[in-house]
Amino acid sequence: MLAYVIKRLIAIPFLLLGVASVSFMLSQMTKGDPLAALVPERMMSNTEVVAAVKAEWGLDKPLPVRYAAYLGNLVQGDLGTSFATRRPVAADIAQRLPATLELVVCAMIVGTTLGLSLGLLSAKYRGSVVDSLARMVALVGSSLPIFWSGLILLYLFSVRLSIVPGTGRLPARVDPPPDVTGFYTIDSLIAGDLSLFLQSIAHLALPAFVLGWAVTGIITRLVRSSLIEGMAQDYARTARAKGAPEHVVLINHALPNAMIPLLTILGFTFAYLITGAVLTEAIFSWPGIGSYAVRAASSLDYPAIGGVTIVGSVAFLLANLLTDIGYAWANPRIRVH
Amino acid sequence: MKHFRINKGVAALLLAGGAVFAQPVLADESDTLVIARSMDVNSLDPSRAFCDTCQFYLTAVYETLVTLAPDNKTLVPNLAENWDVNGDFTEFTFHLKDASFSDGSPVEASDVIWTFNRLKNVKGSPSFLMDGLVSAEAVDAKTVKFIVDAPNSEFLNKVSAPYTGIINADVAKGAGASAADDASEADKAESWFLENSAGSGPFMLKTYSPEAELRLARNDAYWGSAPAFAEVVVTQIQDAVGQAQALETGQVDIAMQIDADTAQSIRSPDVVTEVVPSYNFTYIGFIPGAKGMADVLTKDVRQALALAIDYDGMLDFTVGGNGAKQAAPLPNGFPGTAGLKQREQNIEKAKEMLAAAGQSDLKLVAGYPNDNIYGVDFNIMMQKVQQDFAAIGVEMELKPLTWAVWRDELGAGEWPVTAVYYAPDYYGSGQYIAYFGMIEGYPWVKRAGVGKDDLVVNPEEASLYATALASSGADSEAAYTKLGEEMMNDAIIIPLVSPNLVLAHRSDISGVRYSACCNLPLAEISRK
Repeated sequence: MLAYVIKRLIAIPFLLLGVASVSFMLSQMTKGDPLAALVPERMMSNTEVVAAVKAEWGLDKPLPVRYAAYLGNLVQGDLGTSFATRRPVAADIAQRLPATLELVVCAMIVGTTLGLSLGLLSAKYRGSVVDSLARMVALVGSSLPIFWSGLILLYLFSVRLSIVPGTGRLPARVDPPPDVTGFYTIDSLIAGDLSLFLQSIAHLALPAFVLGWAVTGIITRLVRSSLIEGMAQDYARTARAKGAPEHVVLINHALPNAMIPLLTILGFTFAYLITGAVLTEAIFSWPGIGSYAVRAASSLDYPAIGGVTIVGSVAFLLANLLTDIGYAWANPRIRVH
Repeated sequence: MKHFRINKGVAALLLAGGAVFAQPVLADESDTLVIARSMDVNSLDPSRAFCDTCQFYLTAVYETLVTLAPDNKTLVPNLAENWDVNGDFTEFTFHLKDASFSDGSPVEASDVIWTFNRLKNVKGSPSFLMDGLVSAEAVDAKTVKFIVDAPNSEFLNKVSAPYTGIINADVAKGAGASAADDASEADKAESWFLENSAGSGPFMLKTYSPEAELRLARNDAYWGSAPAFAEVVVTQIQDAVGQAQALETGQVDIAMQIDADTAQSIRSPDVVTEVVPSYNFTYIGFIPGAKGMADVLTKDVRQALALAIDYDGMLDFTVGGNGAKQAAPLPNGFPGTAGLKQREQNIEKAKEMLAAAGQSDLKLVAGYPNDNIYGVDFNIMMQKVQQDFAAIGVEMELKPLTWAVWRDELGAGEWPVTAVYYAPDYYGSGQYIAYFGMIEGYPWVKRAGVGKDDLVVNPEEASLYATALASSGADSEAAYTKLGEEMMNDAIIIPLVSPNLVLAHRSDISGVRYSACCNLPLAEISRK
């Protein structure tokens, strides 16, 4: 297993180089004005400004020269400078990724807990009102567009009921904790500031719920169907024959077998949300990587597009690897070669 | 052991519950002003920045020589105590106040000259403000004289634009800035300006997190009256509804981009909204140089199309009546606009003109940015234009595009109709002529002509513009009026909506106003 993991880790940089090259070429081939993020619309006709900007950003050089420079910088860990923010892309990502990770981790906790619970209830009480209710809750979460559920819940719980605070990671009047991990919850604890910790949790609660609820449906459906299938298997019948109560059969025998497909879904959902939480980020003014990616794509910010693509690729590669490791952990019969 | 676990679980639940029910830090009594805005910052370097957010940031941090009074017309002293202008508007001499930068060093003529030279030579987006500047000379430490290559009565207005804010030259040079002729290559200070500031204004940059937060701190060494707030935070909230919600909950003190419809949905008695006219406008532009349009989109045809538009209906359709019509590409209230007659719809005349031009079955394509600007949804606006054109038998296909693709296709003359918007950089009509005027080499001639400038150039306008710049007062006003009429007659730029602006803030906030040069003057805002 260890050798397998090492082999996969060694392959990652080469895969990323390929991804970066494809991303660079596709960006260059995409129709659009590459100066969109660099020169305001009103200055488009100003030849002096346009020439100066092209020279400054190397856009006056032939494509092969730009590609070579991009790869040369990339192998040295330099992702370039964003056209839009005028800052190193690596710095932008380092600032935004923890915000997204904090949100996505919490959303996955919410989604998994809710999905697993509803799936268990649904399977245990199959065909009953409980089953219908559980499936409906999951279905509603998956079906409601996030831009709608987010806005409605924000209006209800923040504006009308004042139960949760508004948008952002912290109140604007509060200084964020000293940056250690970029996770405000962790950094505020490291700083020993319990009040800040509570405020950061409060700000996380609603966006994490909205995003988590959206992934609950698929988890619930998967857990339910896997459990129902598992409860009909020979090992479940054997356990029952040995006198195991139904809930023990469900939890101790059927659930572990349901974990394998669940791990696959969780791994890829997590990776997807790293760059796919854009609507939640937009509604809750959450300064994450998803909104950065959308802005980069719409304004043809080549360096930022490349940087986000690499982050997304790393997320998927690592999720894939961790899922494989999770398989072995969840089911000792599986050995990866 | 089991009992201990349960206790820990209960404690964790209480902790989480407390967190979720934690109240936001509210505005009352706070020494921090919080503003909700969808930020469009492209740079925080005064010589490179060019955006609406930049306007009020730069105004708060870098002071200009002159500024615009609250009447949005009169130029008043800022860093310059007074100024002299020669008879033909080619020499401008400014006498500086005893002001100081945030590091305590005095603002001197050398800083002003260095700032203006850098603005010109770095060739950033606002460099056009220094077009025509041929000489900058320090008469003494507190007096600076500028010479321009041709009469320019609007030079004073130009130096009220926030992009001309004076930079502490020594500090900026230490950070890699350059004002030399090769500054476009030699200047390496843009990234420094994202984390630092070097101005004489009432505020200083504290931190900036792109598309998330812009934090300003009071300049404790400010030479003038200290601003009311110790800190100003501009927090990114993308949409109008989100900004309104944040305002209602007290999360923010001011929301800058609430449209009139959203403002009506605000129920909180603690929120004040005021609708004021703006100087922004949206327009459609005709491109006779577009592929296959040279003999089709003639002046008569363009005028017929302009007659087809229902301008009153357009206001209702796009902004629910919360806006104003605008005759020419000069904002209402700017020099020369008082005497302009608004366009009116005349379907019969439009049909006659089209028939006379032999274009009764005209088919057009409109490419435009798929965006919502100043509360005007461009899709809705163009659907109304499409509907109005249909009334005279003109079929128009709509092609909403991303900004990057729109810009790419615009330069290539892919379609004969487009739509854009404009907001002023300062008070003055010259900037509009310099952009929309059908004068050889000017931006909209290049756009509309797509290499065939003779299709659109209006020879009258160059001399009228020269007259406007070589005069002031009534003479200048009359020249701009004539220019406005000529541009209306060109029928290249057809303004559609000048949307109103909603000033929305908490009721304990005062001093919120809209400035034509500076957007939102932060130093004037206080808490009651």
